[in-house]
Formats: sequence, C-alpha cells, structure tokens
Amino acid sequence: MMTGAPVTAAQLRLVSCEACHLVSRPASAEEPGFCRRCGEKLEARRPGSIQTTWALTFAAAICYIPANALPVLDTTTPAGSEADTILGGVVFLYTSGSWPLALVVLIASVMIPLGKLVSLAYLLITIQRGSVTNSRERTRLYRMVVFIGRWSMLDVFVDTFTVALVQLQPLMSVAPGAGVLFFAAVVVLTMLAAESLDPRLIWDSGTDAAPATPISHARHG
Amino acid sequence: MAEPTDLGDLPQATVMRRKRFRISIVWIIPILAAVVALGIAIQRIRNEGPTITIIFKGAAGIEAGKTSIKYKDVTIGQVDTVELSDDYTRVLVTAKIAKHAARLIVEDAKFWVVQPQVSLSGVSGLSTLLSGQYIGFQAGTSTKRARSFIALDVPPMITDQPGRLFLLSAATLGSVGIGAPVYYRSVNVGEVAAYRLADDGKSIKITVFINAPYDKYVTSETRFWNASGIQVSAGANGVDIRTESIVSVLVGGLAFDVPAFRPPGEPAAANAEFTLYQDKATAMTQPDPVERRFVLYFDQSLRGLSVGAPVTLFGLTVGRVAEVGLSYDSRDMVFRPRVVVTFLPERLAARLSSEDRTAAGIGLAGQTPEVRARTLRHLVEDRGLRAQLLTGSLLTGEMYVGFEYFPNAPKPKIDWSREPLELPVAPGGVTTIEAKLTSILTKIDNMPLDAMGADIRKLLVTLNQTLKDTDRLISNADAQWVPEGTKTLEELHRAIADADKSLLGKDSGTAQDLRDTLQELTNTARSVRVLVEYLERHPEMFIRGKKQESP
Repeated sequence: MMTGAPVTAAQLRLVSCEACHLVSRPASAEEPGFCRRCGEKLEARRPGSIQTTWALTFAAAICYIPANALPVLDTTTPAGSEADTILGGVVFLYTSGSWPLALVVLIASVMIPLGKLVSLAYLLITIQRGSVTNSRERTRLYRMVVFIGRWSMLDVFVDTFTVALVQLQPLMSVAPGAGVLFFAAVVVLTMLAAESLDPRLIWDSGTDAAPATPISHARHG
Repeated sequence: MAEPTDLGDLPQATVMRRKRFRISIVWIIPILAAVVALGIAIQRIRNEGPTITIIFKGAAGIEAGKTSIKYKDVTIGQVDTVELSDDYTRVLVTAKIAKHAARLIVEDAKFWVVQPQVSLSGVSGLSTLLSGQYIGFQAGTSTKRARSFIALDVPPMITDQPGRLFLLSAATLGSVGIGAPVYYRSVNVGEVAAYRLADDGKSIKITVFINAPYDKYVTSETRFWNASGIQVSAGANGVDIRTESIVSVLVGGLAFDVPAFRPPGEPAAANAEFTLYQDKATAMTQPDPVERRFVLYFDQSLRGLSVGAPVTLFGLTVGRVAEVGLSYDSRDMVFRPRVVVTFLPERLAARLSSEDRTAAGIGLAGQTPEVRARTLRHLVEDRGLRAQLLTGSLLTGEMYVGFEYFPNAPKPKIDWSREPLELPVAPGGVTTIEAKLTSILTKIDNMPLDAMGADIRKLLVTLNQTLKDTDRLISNADAQWVPEGTKTLEELHRAIADADKSLLGKDSGTAQDLRDTLQELTNTARSVRVLVEYLERHPEMFIRGKKQESP
C-alpha cells in the first residue's frame, strides 16, 4: 500500500456514480446496481474500457496515415486541377510567407491528432503495466486529451467551408478530397477513445485493494 | 447402476467463475479502418503508372510537380522532377504517367512542349497562357514499351485525326503560320501543319492537313492559293471586297478549289504535291506552268527591263522575263544583251475561246513537241513573229518584252534545234523613235550652218561685183564706142539692147531666178537657226510636239 495515497472508493468497495458522483454501496460485487439518486447504472470501472480505447486508438492511428497521404482539397481551375494534402497546405502557407498560419494548421491538424494518439497509447500502456508513478500528470494528460480533441475538427471545418463557399463554376471549383474523410475519422475516433478510457484506472494500480473483478478484466483485456 | 461407496476422499469441484474474457466488438472499428486504408493504398498502387524520362533541350515552362502531360487535352501524366543531365547540356524530365495511359507510352510516342500561341486562329495555346506550358503528347503505333524519350523541338503534325496531309510548294511563306486555316469554299477544312525551307533553299514546302471528309475535294486538278488578306476590286459595278474570313485577314490562310475550266480530277493521294499560288486570280487562271524558255538577243540597252517583267503577245501577258544578262560572242568579241523569257503556253490556251482551244489553235500549248515546233516556226518565219523591247511606262522607263507580227520583217536565220530556242527580235517602239530622233539631231548638229551663211554672203558680194562690172563695161562701151561710128554704135546699141533684153532685162528669167534663189536661201538659214534655238530650249518637242501657244 502506497503511503500517503488517499483511500479510493474501490478500496472501500464503494462505487461512485459517473453521472452525479454519489458514492454508494454496490448491490453486489458483480452487479453494482443503479444509483439511488439519479438512476444511473453503476459501474465500479467501465467494462472493457481499455480494450475499447485500444481498438479506437488503433483505428485512429490507421486512419491517420491516409488522412495525411490523401488530398483534402481538390481545386479545379481552367489551368488544371490540383490536389492538396494537409502537409502540402502547410508547406504552401509557409513558403507563401504566412508562417503563423502554417504553424496553426501544423499544430491543429498534424501535431494534435498525433499527440492524442501517442498520449492515449501512453496512458493505456501505463495503466496496463500497473504503473504507479506520475498518476497525477497522467490524469492531467488525460484531461487535456479530452479537452483538445474537438479542436482538431478545425481543419475539417475550414475544409467544408471552403468547399461550400468557393464554387465559382466554371472558373474555379473546390471539392473535398478523400483525405478529409479520414482526417475527420481520426478526430472522431480519438475523441471516442478518450471518452471510453476510464480515468479512474490510472489510480487503481497504486492501491492494493483494487476492485477485484472489473480491474482484472481490464488488465487482461 | 452401481451405488457410490466411498465419497470421502473425492476432491470437491470448484465453481470456476466464467471468465468474461471476450473480444470487444469495438475492434471492428480498427479492422474496418485498416481494410479501407489498405484498399485505398492498393488502389493507389494499382493506379500507379510508369515513370518515364523525357530529354529536353531546355526546361522553359516546365515545372516539377506542376507541368502536366496532355494527350487530346486529357492530362495523362505529371512532371515529377526536372534536372540537368550529367553533362549539363540537356534537361532530364521525369514524369509519372497515369495508369490508364500506360499503354500509350510506346517507343515512337512523341513529346514536346506546347508553347502558348497568341494567334486568333485557334484557342489551342490559350489555355497555356493561364496554366503555363504543358507537355504535348502523341501516341505512337509501336507496341514496344519505352521509358525514355527525346522531346521534339516543334510539335509534330496532327496525324491522329482522320484526314490527309498534302504538300504545297510556294515561293515565299507570306503570312502563313502553323495552324493557319485552310478553306474550301470559305469552309474551314484544315490547317497548316508545318512548313520548312526546301533543301535547295529556293522554295518553301508547306504541309497542310485537310480533315476528313473534306480531303476528298483535293484532287489532281486542285489549286491552292494564299487566301490571306482582302481582295478589293473596283469595277463598273462598284467596289467588290472579298475575303475568306476575318480570321484569314488577320492571321493568313490558304484556300483551294478546282478551276472552273478544268475537269474535277481524281482525288489526290496523301502527301501529293501542289503549287501554292499567290492569290486566287492567279490560281484560277493560270494553269500549271508548263514553261518554255526562249532566248532573245537585243541590239539595244536593257535598261528598265527587270526579271519578272511581263512577256506579252498582242498585249496579253503570256510569260515573264526570267533572266536579263549578257552573252559574250567569242568570234566577234562582243557582248550582246541577252534576255531569257519563259513562255507559258497554257496561259495562252486559257485565253483562247473554248472552240479554238479544242481546234488546232492550241498548237503552241502543243500536244506534241513536233506540232509545237512547227507552229512556232510558221509563226516566226511566215508571219513575222518578233520580240520587241517595249516601254511599259514612260515615267519609270519600265520595259517589257512584247511579241507581235511584223509581216515585212526579213526571214530570220534560226537554229531550230537549239534549246533554249533563240527567237528573232525587232527594234522596239519608243526606242526606235528615240534612235531616229537622235540621228536627226546629230545630223542637224553636224550641218555647217555658219559656213553656209558665209558662203552665201560671199556669193552675194561676187554677184554685186559682177553687176558693177557689167555696168562699167556698158558705160565704157558707151564712152569709147560712140565716136566710132553710128553704125557701130547702133549695132552695139542693138546688141546691148538685145543683151539687155535677153540677159539683164527686167523680164529676164535668169536674173529673176537668181534673186529668188538668194531670197530663199536667206529664209532657210533663218528658219534653221530658229529651229535649232527652239530645240535647244525644248528638246521634249520631239515627243510631245510643239506646244500650242495659249491665246
């Protein structure tokens, strides 16, 4: 038992409601029952949280490759058509002199999704290995991943706006490329992954009296 | 069934809690993502066409990652890299070709840079103004694939369109450029595909492409002409302006048709050669130039006669002067002006009425050389056909060669077997007058007018003396012979009276004649002086005559 570590609800065989955070005794270890105050189904830990998160993270990682490799914007002018990838856009913005904009796009569209993927993987690995260090930092990281997730949609947002607004047929037309679909998938999948990760797991390893069943499931799942 | 006997030692089975380990359904998501991504990747790889290398002399307008390769205006590839060759003399361009066009990339495929052409004849180059240049492509016929090509300097001729190429031979290119339209009855049926200088550098070979189905109108009798510009003709009916199209006014163009007086002819074979006439009138009237050359030796100055000057027969142009020069007669050691004229017999035939043409009158245009020679011989020897140097314009002194009949001309000596044949000449029009005037002037100039005047004066003095002497003789006789006797005197008187009557009498013809003669001579001398003085002041009088005094 870690000295100085606060007593967790799991150690006391208590269950907190995820909706209204009311701590109550579970009906049984197997079936904790429902929250008396708000009627939410009680779970000591979300079932299959780690497995789900892994799956979604993997899916996002797979989608991340075509999201960057495929064009997000197909511009057709009389001069010919041009397909731009995200990184191509960054390079274009940088070479055309607007490096602050290039930086924004680079951070929002390239680094944040990648950072989220790495962060999720890191959290999952540390939970599964039962790491007891840096729990506080890891929790902070988790919160940041959840918070920042939606901002990556900026790129998709700009893309859809551009497509909708720049329809100067026959002079110029812009169509979304396949890349933007994968990019949106990356963002959505990482958001879902972050949601499906039960942050309470971060703290379970530090305690002896981890809730017996759900955690062991998670550990092996 | 046996009853269990001893149950005490048996181990108690434990209730294993069912392991709730199961693979979450959520793993479908990454599998799905992987499948889709893989599918796209495979499709991309499958769509990957070949990468080829094109060698250019220069990379003008070619940009890596931007310049596309187009075939029939469809992009079939894109330039990947542009770099210099190892010896820095050429440019190596690597390009990715789309999968669907991979089969086009064969050995004899052609690549070239499409230059922006700022001409009104077409919009082919207009897109390059916006998009920058692109690499044009023409598929080959070979089946062998290749990955390395050498780009063409100039675009190849269009051959993938149905139609045929024809070769035109012109003296000058004029304003015709590549892409200039070709018209048939004012319908745009083709274009100029290429032109080049003939190997001897003396003519231009223009390749025109006539689109199917119009190419069948090009027959063995077809004449091509340069349809550039506007034809304006003013006549009794007013001013007539003709042009094939506004485009041809601006960028030039060619046209073709079959002359009305020729049969339609057989459709011409591809790459058949034609002559390009300078304008429609020439093309439609002038049959194929079957040229005959004749040599003329004139005995007068050739000043004003230039190459290309017309050769006329009774004032109608039937040929032109081909050479103006000298020949050296080594026997007589003299230079002789030598003129070579080309005679276009078919032009003459075109001037004939249709009945005459079918009749024997076509002798000069000649079916056989024998008939031609016989006709010419008849004309020259019996009819007196002679060449003359004539003045086309008194102002500029421009000369031309005219053929006319001189029935009184002496029969010439002609070597009929020589080629080119020498034809006899006759002294020509104004030149003859000029020569005669000159000779008259020279004669007048040479007249000893002063001496004549002196002689006349001397004559008058002598006459005067004679008269005086006679007078004295009479007075002497009077004085000496009176005393001699009346008889003698009377006889003398009678004699003198006779003499007086016969010789010096008022009515004597001799004296009168003499006086008249003297008077006439004086008048003549005065007139000649006046004429000479007037001529000195007005030499043009010989041409124009004496100017009428205005009242």
